[in-house]
Amino acid sequence: MSFLEYNVKTTPSGIRKVLYLNWPLTVLLIAVASFGFLMLYSVAGGSLSPWAEPQMKRFVLGMVVMMFIAMVPIWLWRNLSVVAYLGSLVLLLAVEFFGAVGMGAQRWIDIGFMRLQPSELTKITLVMVLAAYYDALPLNKTSRPLWVILPVVLILVPTYLVLRQPDLGTALLLMIGGGAVMFMAGVHWAYFAAVVSAGVGTVAAVFQSRGTDWQLIKDYQFRRIDTFIDPSNDPLGAGYHITQAKIALGSGGWTGRGFMQGTQSRLNFLPEKHTDFIFTTLAEEFGFVGAFSLLALYALIIIFCVQSALTNKDRFASILTLGIAVTFFLFFAVNMSMVMGLAPVVGVPLPLVSYGGSAMLVLLAGFGLVQSAHVHRPR
Amino acid sequence: MTDTPLRIPLRPLARILEAREKGENPDAIERENLRLRHEEMRDRARVRAEGRILVLGAVFALAFMTIGVKMWMVAESEPAEPRTSYAGMGIVAQRGDIVDRQGRVLATNLDTFSLYAHPHQMVEPRRAAEELAAIFPDLDRERLIKDFTGSRRFVWIRRKISPEQRQAVHDIGEPGLLFGPREMRLYPNGAIAAHILGGAGYGEEGVAAAEIKGTAGIERAFNDYLTDPANGGRPLQLSLDLTVQAAAEEVLYGGMRLMNAKGATSILMDAHTGEIISLVSLPDFDPNDRPNPPTEGHPDDSPLFNRAVQGVYELGSTFKIFTAAQALDMGIANPKTMVDIRGPIRWGRHTIKDFHWYGKELSVEEIIIKSSNIGTARLAEQIGIERQKQFLADLGLFEPTPVELSEAPSGAPLIQKNWSELTTMTVSFGHGMSISPLHLASAYATIANDGRRVRPTLLRQDTPQVGPQVMSAAAARQAQTMLRQVVTEGTASFADIDFYSISGKTGTADKPKPTGGYYKDKTISTFASMFPAHDPQYVLIVTLDEAVETSGKDPRRTAGWTATPVAAELITRIGPLLGLRPEIAPVPLADITLTSN
Repeated sequence: MSFLEYNVKTTPSGIRKVLYLNWPLTVLLIAVASFGFLMLYSVAGGSLSPWAEPQMKRFVLGMVVMMFIAMVPIWLWRNLSVVAYLGSLVLLLAVEFFGAVGMGAQRWIDIGFMRLQPSELTKITLVMVLAAYYDALPLNKTSRPLWVILPVVLILVPTYLVLRQPDLGTALLLMIGGGAVMFMAGVHWAYFAAVVSAGVGTVAAVFQSRGTDWQLIKDYQFRRIDTFIDPSNDPLGAGYHITQAKIALGSGGWTGRGFMQGTQSRLNFLPEKHTDFIFTTLAEEFGFVGAFSLLALYALIIIFCVQSALTNKDRFASILTLGIAVTFFLFFAVNMSMVMGLAPVVGVPLPLVSYGGSAMLVLLAGFGLVQSAHVHRPR
Repeated sequence: MTDTPLRIPLRPLARILEAREKGENPDAIERENLRLRHEEMRDRARVRAEGRILVLGAVFALAFMTIGVKMWMVAESEPAEPRTSYAGMGIVAQRGDIVDRQGRVLATNLDTFSLYAHPHQMVEPRRAAEELAAIFPDLDRERLIKDFTGSRRFVWIRRKISPEQRQAVHDIGEPGLLFGPREMRLYPNGAIAAHILGGAGYGEEGVAAAEIKGTAGIERAFNDYLTDPANGGRPLQLSLDLTVQAAAEEVLYGGMRLMNAKGATSILMDAHTGEIISLVSLPDFDPNDRPNPPTEGHPDDSPLFNRAVQGVYELGSTFKIFTAAQALDMGIANPKTMVDIRGPIRWGRHTIKDFHWYGKELSVEEIIIKSSNIGTARLAEQIGIERQKQFLADLGLFEPTPVELSEAPSGAPLIQKNWSELTTMTVSFGHGMSISPLHLASAYATIANDGRRVRPTLLRQDTPQVGPQVMSAAAARQAQTMLRQVVTEGTASFADIDFYSISGKTGTADKPKPTGGYYKDKTISTFASMFPAHDPQYVLIVTLDEAVETSGKDPRRTAGWTATPVAAELITRIGPLLGLRPEIAPVPLADITLTSN
């Protein structure tokens, strides 16, 4: 229970809630998704099928889900967060045993009308349960070791399950997202410093050991890491995507080749051109101007979320909003960095733009929570 | 919580009492204080949370800036067209040719194509696999089908294909089958000079280019030179003469067969410049299709083994001339000095004896002519251990030859660690020390060069070498004269041929058993020679491995019967190619002339 109880009477009720939605945020979400529709239309060679139309339908469905979640009082979601978290763990386990194998990794559960990717769902439920935890935890206990271990376990369990699928990208995102929530909840600096330095130390030790007789990992593992860090070592294998993506980005220039004029992506040089690498199409066709506009839209979404969190006096709502903002931020920051060669290639979609059902639905559900927190904030 | 000021108690006694006096409910004070305390905690939480959000905001801003700047860089760097970047762009394509001393091509490049597949772009992967298997019968059909229908995105099929094969693959009409330009190293003369050229393979490979890398011989030793763009693709000129090399290979091959040898090597060297005009090692191979190193059998018997450079053998009596030359140089003896040759010499459990009984004493020149072990050993006794070692080292026999082949360092001489007086005696006639035929060639070239040290080289030289004087010119000339006498009156009478005057020394050494001791019926027979005899221009070494001449009653294994006739035939054949004028008129056969009826 939060010690910041607030009066239900001060929050809007009934249909009036719609007026109190965070409308600028909603408009931004629609704008970003529209970028996605345009791009999917373009990579399909100027056709609604096979990607643009289902994407639009899913977006509409996602908006409906968002509205529904926004209408439900935020404290109900808070009370449900443990259930949601456990539910997503069960789904992750189900993937382990019944999941469909696609693209060399086991990630989906087929639930009839769509394929669910529980690892996506976990990103939101993990943020929820951590926010609820810190809401319930008295402030003075935040940094006590015992009360730090519990959320760490909450983060590591789904991370381990996702890592087994195997999906390194999502696992890293879960860890960083969860860590960010703990950071914002006010856990002492020293813990983060310790974790970061331990991580850096381990990596440094592994690389130091290379070529010595106490080498910690095998040579072929080193070669994989090399390719992971610098894909240009292997231009036909792991580095193929990056090479082609860089060509596409470079050919876009300042204003791009024009809508539907991209060659690199439409001539099939780029696999995954409609999913993880859709940003290259955008950059090729609309150039720096288009790419930067999308980046600006993303930045605005983050700014509105942070602003909403800052003005919210409820601890759960505030942490939850920030946590979802961080998750969203990690999505596009990792995706854009990967495509532009700033980061290694991990399978992370461009949020709301890449073709794909699970990710979009889950993100919109997350923004539903942000909206609910905004609507039901204590006044 | 240490910085928290003194907490106000929830129910301060003074205020409670005051309230009671006023008749108010004292619980209100507790509620009021509780509210204040909660607000204080909340405010502290807010301050901390806002600090954290600020940090987070800074991280966000930094990330946005990084991505934005990268976008800007990418957009600015390529204003218009896509850059011509492809896999393997950094590979240097043009590898320099290798030519012989006349400029004839020994190694060059040929443009061919490589064949690879993008299975995800295939229309009919199964049919493509079937037809490919029909064009290239050595490809595994099942394997191709598996590769093309599986999840692989890239499959190498062939590294090099001919234009005909390319057309055939093109006719399949499968868009997922792709060609890349591919340079290939070509040795137009096939197996000729195989051991010198070595061979080349592919290093870094991309679809658009591939790096050619020397795997052995000159190709490997000069890999950096041949691929250095600074040389502008200029050819590398060797000292080799293609015509002489071809003739030498042919004659030596015939000689090897005739003498039932399992291997043979010959080296022809210019005695003044050290240039190797021809170098043959048999059996050989085709560098266009260099075989893999054998996994079984002795590696020295592999065709890849360069006997002239890598093979180190006890070269027997050919060493005797070094002993004689040193004795002459030191003034211990002159060619007419008489030496006691009564034997055998017993040294511990070793005995040194001669092949025949030559009497009680011989002159130095007769020791060489008749090849007396005992006489040579006596001379070596006079020379002494240290001076003998120094002389052999000056001739370059204690270190690998400096020839420009990647295999040269592996041809290090085998020298006994404890060089005793006995060693000095045995080495004086070529036992107890193993060197390569190329070592022998450069040592003989030093004698032919009037005592100036000659180092072997495979690169075309324009000027004679000016090496250190290993022995006096007079001693060297006397040694040359003795070598001529070996041919005219001694063991190498088969080398006394028409047209050309040859000097030389035979050497036959029993092959050592791997288990210790020596074989009785396996020899290395060598003829080390120089010609023309009066002013030697060339040095020729011929070595046969396990040669046996069977025309007589008993099998004959001495070099005089095996290596010498082969060398004589070689010189007869290559003399004209080298531009030497015949010096000795053939003795006309008694009755038959062209004009006789």
